Amino acid sequence: MSAATLTVYRDDGPIAGALGRVAAKVPAAALALVAALPLVAALAIEGDGASDALAGVVVGWAIVLGSLSRARTETGRFRWGVPPLIRLTEYAGLLWIGALGDALPAAFALVCALAYRHYDLVYRLRHRGVTPPRWVDLAGLGWEGRLLLGYVLLLAGALPLAFYVLAGILGVVFVAESVIGWTHDTRRVTTVYEEEEDEGQ
Amino acid sequence: MTTGVTETQPQVPAPAPQPAAAPPAVATAILLATAPGEDGEAAALLEWEETTVLGRLADQAASVGARTIHVITRPDWATEVEHALEDSETGLALLEGADPKLAPTLRVERSEDPASDLRAIGRIAAEAAGGLLIAHGEVLTQREAIAGLAADPRVSTGVLATVGRVGRPFAQRTRSARGRVVSAASPYHGVNKPTTTFLGVLKVADVDRPALGAIAERLGELVAPPLPEGWPDELQRKMGIWRAVLARAAWREEMDAERPDADLFDDNSTPELELPENPQDIALSDEDEAEIARRAKVVPNDVAAMLVTGLVREGVPVGVSHLRKLFWARPITQAGVDRAAQDIREHDEEKDLLDSSVKAADGFFTTFFVSPYSKYIARWCARRGFTPNQVTTVSVIIGFVAAAAFATGERWGLIAGAVLLQIAFTTDCVDGQLARYTRQFSKLGAWLDSVFDRTKEYAVFAGLAIGYAASHADDVWALAGAALTLQTIRHMTDFAFGAARQQVIGEAKQPPLEHSSDRVGAAARLPAPPTPQQPEEPVAEQEERKVSLPRRILGSWRKVDRAPGAIWIKRMCAFPIGERFAVMSITAALWDAKVTFVVLIAWGLFATTYTFAGRFLRSVSR
Repeated sequence: MSAATLTVYRDDGPIAGALGRVAAKVPAAALALVAALPLVAALAIEGDGASDALAGVVVGWAIVLGSLSRARTETGRFRWGVPPLIRLTEYAGLLWIGALGDALPAAFALVCALAYRHYDLVYRLRHRGVTPPRWVDLAGLGWEGRLLLGYVLLLAGALPLAFYVLAGILGVVFVAESVIGWTHDTRRVTTVYEEEEDEGQ
Repeated sequence: MTTGVTETQPQVPAPAPQPAAAPPAVATAILLATAPGEDGEAAALLEWEETTVLGRLADQAASVGARTIHVITRPDWATEVEHALEDSETGLALLEGADPKLAPTLRVERSEDPASDLRAIGRIAAEAAGGLLIAHGEVLTQREAIAGLAADPRVSTGVLATVGRVGRPFAQRTRSARGRVVSAASPYHGVNKPTTTFLGVLKVADVDRPALGAIAERLGELVAPPLPEGWPDELQRKMGIWRAVLARAAWREEMDAERPDADLFDDNSTPELELPENPQDIALSDEDEAEIARRAKVVPNDVAAMLVTGLVREGVPVGVSHLRKLFWARPITQAGVDRAAQDIREHDEEKDLLDSSVKAADGFFTTFFVSPYSKYIARWCARRGFTPNQVTTVSVIIGFVAAAAFATGERWGLIAGAVLLQIAFTTDCVDGQLARYTRQFSKLGAWLDSVFDRTKEYAVFAGLAIGYAASHADDVWALAGAALTLQTIRHMTDFAFGAARQQVIGEAKQPPLEHSSDRVGAAARLPAPPTPQQPEEPVAEQEERKVSLPRRILGSWRKVDRAPGAIWIKRMCAFPIGERFAVMSITAALWDAKVTFVVLIAWGLFATTYTFAGRFLRSVSR
């Protein structure tokens, strides 16, 4: 596995790419945890009764701090906590936005499409040693781009239709690209396979 | 020193690329018939049925795809080796005029000593095309063991190894972590805290061939006398360990003979054998003394083990293919071969293979409620000629039908969905077992299996939530979303933790090849203490006194595994796929989707806490 594996797992977009150049002194796992906490707390306490303003503040906080955690993703003892914390932020955020817009089934569909993408990132790196092409990363907007877009769509009152459309487009792009990638695989790379693994089950 | 080459067949053009099927991972085999047996003859030339041990191995190498088979042997044995190869099935096929495009080329290389063996390997590595298979010519194992290593595309460069005990102590030990060899012993290199044993068969991927060639050249320089500092001591230390191990084995046999009911007592009730400080003073039976004397002549020729050490020390990722339940031996006397022949006949290869097809570390539900019968379905599929990918596809289709049944929200739908989900899960176990059973591994198959597993699980979540909303006034979309988020996060933590561990292993500094010890830094230059009392973990004992608290907690936590059933409870705590699918089926069939999601989330949260605690301790104890 390359040294940047965990960065690939993050699935960052342009905002995190830009903010992530600022190398914060705080370990990435701590930043990612602080980024996720207010969102999870607000979701747990207020549920679908939260105001749009509150949602905006905690989603914005999560985007900024989560993006800042990018720089030190590959170092630190608890670096393995960074990608799952980013996923928690993203999925919980999108499902919450869905709940606020009375569009939970649509948000569920969107998260399913994203789950495909995130498992595929892991499996293609593990089995083939490659990452998706740049255009797919851009088309996917990155986790922080999707959170921002989701919040804008909520304010615009475009839910649930917009989430269904987004889930459809992203699902088709992610699945089609990964299937084409697999059928046109010619690269030969050294990969390490863990026979004793009981993870990923 | 000369290294002559005899060709038993003129060079044939490279075989035409096979359509459809992928090219074999191994194109060239190097068999080392350099170990002396009883009477100064090559041990590899010992008789095996109609042929020799070497001939059998050459046939096995040919059957896993080797197009060129080089046999490196001593000049005195070369003529006999040529005869032996002619008598092998491969050789006979050539004589009978088999299509030269299909039959492999056999070459005998004359080599004086280990240094020139290594140079010959370096030359072959530079000239050959495709992957290499390097094996001791005396290895007696089932074809499937070699095929398992050669045909598995997921192991690029790797060794055949076992975590079990191989009867005698003469094979070189290795330490592996997360499917990768992190330290390997050779006659002149020690390994601290070994976990596995190298079984004398090494596969080198095409991409790693240049590295192997350089390592073989370097080792060739190092083993040419005089040996580097510390190397002779390490060899002496190993032989001291053999003496201790053989003495203990004889002692144990004696004790068992005296107390046939010893098994009824606790292990500790058997008095420990006191061994003298100096291994040379250990008294052994004449038979054991003779065996050690023979092995002492064999071990300096173990260049395959040296190459593994070299690859690991140079940072080439070396994977592990496990022997599992198959048979392996490396006899060097005719009596040893006859004993192995007896044992291998008692082994039912078919049954061994089927038992080996079951995944080693599976969960409780899968191991006890699915694998016992799913392996017979796998065998049935193999006989019918179904491929693993077809089975995977069937499994995901059944999974989708189960999700659709759940989506009705009716009682019959929930029950039908529960049954179908279990069928889908069984089918899902079958595909992996079929792949292992028929050695039809592919990266695409591994990917399909992984992706479809998730697809099935999350499709069922959606089906359950749709069904619940259709039949109730409220809905469970929030619970479904929470369950999906939790499960994805749990997987992502596994993946990220694994990747972080791989980074640590990959970046770990390896000591230079000249060092006998596998320790980096100041301790490395100190010769390992010759401690026959604790041959397996000489250095670990000294460290015991200054271990940190997290390490001690982890240590005692691992000791819990020895209690009966503890390992299964631990695995259940982690909430593996078999348990999750069982929970989904049972709760949905008996109650409704809300109960399913609540149980999934509760058990999932418990599992998250449990695994997080373990990983937290491992991260702070480093």
